[in-house]
Amino acid sequence: MDPRLSEEQEILRKSARDFLTEKCPKSLVREMENDEKGYSPQLWQEIAALGWTGLVFPEKYGGGGMSFLDLSILLEEMGRVLFPGPFFSTVLLGGLPILDIGSEEQKEKYLPEIISGKAIFTMALTEASGKYTASSVKAKATADNGNYVINGTKLFIPDAHVADYFLCVARTDDKAKSEDGITIFIVDAKSPGISKTVLKTIARDKQCEVVFKDVKVPRENILGKLNQVWGEVQKIIERAAIAKCCEMLGGMEVVLDMTVAYVKERIQFDVPVGVFQAIQHHCVYMLVDVEGSRATAYEAAWRVSTGRPYSSEAAITKAWVSDAYQRVVALGTQSHGGVSIMEDHDMPLYYRRAKAAELTFGDARFHRKTVARKLGFEVA
Amino acid sequence: MDFELTPEEKAFQKEIREFLDKECNENVVAETLSMEGEGPYSKELLRKMGANRLLTPRWPVEYGGRGMGAMAEAIKVDEINSHHAPFPLDGVEVGNALLICGNEEQKKRFLPGIARGDIEFALGYSEPDAGSDVASVQLRAVEDRDEFILNGQKIYNTEAHFSDYHWLLTRTDPSAEKKHRGLSLFMVDLKSPGITIRPLITSAGLRTNEVFYEDVRVPKENMVGEKNGGWTVIMNALYGGGGGGGLATGTKRVIDTLVKYALEEKQDADENQWIPETMAGLYIRTHVGELMGLRATAFADLNVSPPYGGGGAVSRLLGGDTRRLLYNTAMQILGPYGQLAKDSKWVPLNGEILREYMDAPRWTIVHGSQEIQKLVIATRGLGLPRR
Repeated sequence: MDPRLSEEQEILRKSARDFLTEKCPKSLVREMENDEKGYSPQLWQEIAALGWTGLVFPEKYGGGGMSFLDLSILLEEMGRVLFPGPFFSTVLLGGLPILDIGSEEQKEKYLPEIISGKAIFTMALTEASGKYTASSVKAKATADNGNYVINGTKLFIPDAHVADYFLCVARTDDKAKSEDGITIFIVDAKSPGISKTVLKTIARDKQCEVVFKDVKVPRENILGKLNQVWGEVQKIIERAAIAKCCEMLGGMEVVLDMTVAYVKERIQFDVPVGVFQAIQHHCVYMLVDVEGSRATAYEAAWRVSTGRPYSSEAAITKAWVSDAYQRVVALGTQSHGGVSIMEDHDMPLYYRRAKAAELTFGDARFHRKTVARKLGFEVA
Repeated sequence: MDFELTPEEKAFQKEIREFLDKECNENVVAETLSMEGEGPYSKELLRKMGANRLLTPRWPVEYGGRGMGAMAEAIKVDEINSHHAPFPLDGVEVGNALLICGNEEQKKRFLPGIARGDIEFALGYSEPDAGSDVASVQLRAVEDRDEFILNGQKIYNTEAHFSDYHWLLTRTDPSAEKKHRGLSLFMVDLKSPGITIRPLITSAGLRTNEVFYEDVRVPKENMVGEKNGGWTVIMNALYGGGGGGGLATGTKRVIDTLVKYALEEKQDADENQWIPETMAGLYIRTHVGELMGLRATAFADLNVSPPYGGGGAVSRLLGGDTRRLLYNTAMQILGPYGQLAKDSKWVPLNGEILREYMDAPRWTIVHGSQEIQKLVIATRGLGLPRR
């Protein structure tokens, strides 16, 4: 067992931290919360030039040929600074699924666009129920002269307002049982019949409603198998959950760091409040949560990276980290006192994102049910 | 990064597991579960383990170990726990400190014996007025030519009634300006005249002891480290082992047992719908604690400080709470049957859950209470100011 990052990974971490510290200050994060696009196209081009959008993709498509664990380290750094923009959607919900199950033709067409920073992708999966289950996929894709026509409403779709392509998950056979009639389509976002509304969310992170009305998609845009792709969708969600946990880990680290720094200098009763055991214990429990999250998120990412099964670990990790991030922001806020509930403090930025991240790709309860099933229980 | 045990560690795990599958028989388990301390079957097993170098894998080969790392130690602890085998923790901890602070003569005299399972030590730190504040010990050691004369009392020395030696923290300088600078550490033969051992029984039925010293003489060569340098020695005993344990095979087995019980007895009733998710939560907590511990242990083997200097102490905080939560939940699953003791009519799962539930509070108190652990992590790990 070796808990260390490799030398290359340490270099990646340091260069990412240096770059993001300079280019993604909290002023940018705040500006982007109110920006129509929600990200800086110029910064997007810069990270593409650094090779980040292509980091995890094979060199033959122009990518960096690095591992999922390398990507996780980058996401942890992005989580630290609350990097705004469609990086996660494009890589985890667009590029990697295409790399997994796309035809060679599709890979050659789309991956270079992602790698170069030209195309933004997202996945249109969840609907009105907000659930990540097969039975929740109600949008329909009907065969029509060798093509398909999609109708339905997708909800909570990240970055849909700026996406160039959607991976739209739709029902192609509603007579089969719910897992067996689902297909993924690569949909050009400019196709007639698509309308998007940006939702006002807690993290101001541009989740959208996307309505598909008689949207025509050519048959060759089916990603993977017709009807039999739910297993792949689950894998995409599980891997994204692990990646999200790495991002959350970065956020938790910063909340801990800023809390520890603050309680060392905040004077009350003539001493730094960090002297008080009530505060010390808050900080120690935050550390327990940060290190527990690190252990489980890294292990899960390592499993993805090395081709091991990761379904259980995804559930364990997302369940744990979702709750842990909540505890960390709660104790961090409590240790800071009143200053940290002010709008212009950094804490609320993390507080709001901790909740958004908890809710995405299944919350703790959703994943505990998955673990319960794996233990042998029958859970609805 | 890599989360796999090395081939050498896997081979060790297989060896000790197969050994204990075969040798840790029901007589030994009965002794372990009796909570009365080691009996003859336990002693026989320890000697057999010693003969196979299974007790102290981390020590150098010349002292009876295998020259392996903290991970091998974690594997050993995990297998001992999951088999309900006797657990000579104190001797190992004493040996770890001797390796760092002992002189060559002491190492040769004690380490191979501990490794063989022949010599057992009981820790002698706590006193009625020195618990968490261990530097306050009062048991007095007065120099007398080539001996020291000991007078005073220790308490909660759990293995004293079946051990050979006492690892005794004493006061040699009552006027030291800083009280932890006036302490010295002795290895005392527990058969020495003047020692009286009296049983104390925990509410779980666990035998521990108070030990009285009345003009007990100990030769100078049994002092470890410098005179008035006892603090350094016990810090090495408490923290010198490094590592964070990790593997939680025994806990996961308990969870499996409870899941099986719940599936057989509780599945249909609506009011038991809380069980699957709660058990999943405990499994997750156990798994996370396991990974944290493994990481800390691996860092210890690399001699690298983990992030925030946290290491094993941080994972033990999580682990201590997990045990309490697990057995409390287990009792809730059993419902009214949970209160039935071993040998009672209708007792479920051999009364094991009740026994562990009663014993659970001990684990967040012994060996440095969780509050002391938190103090150490806060000040050393996070660098928060001291009082």
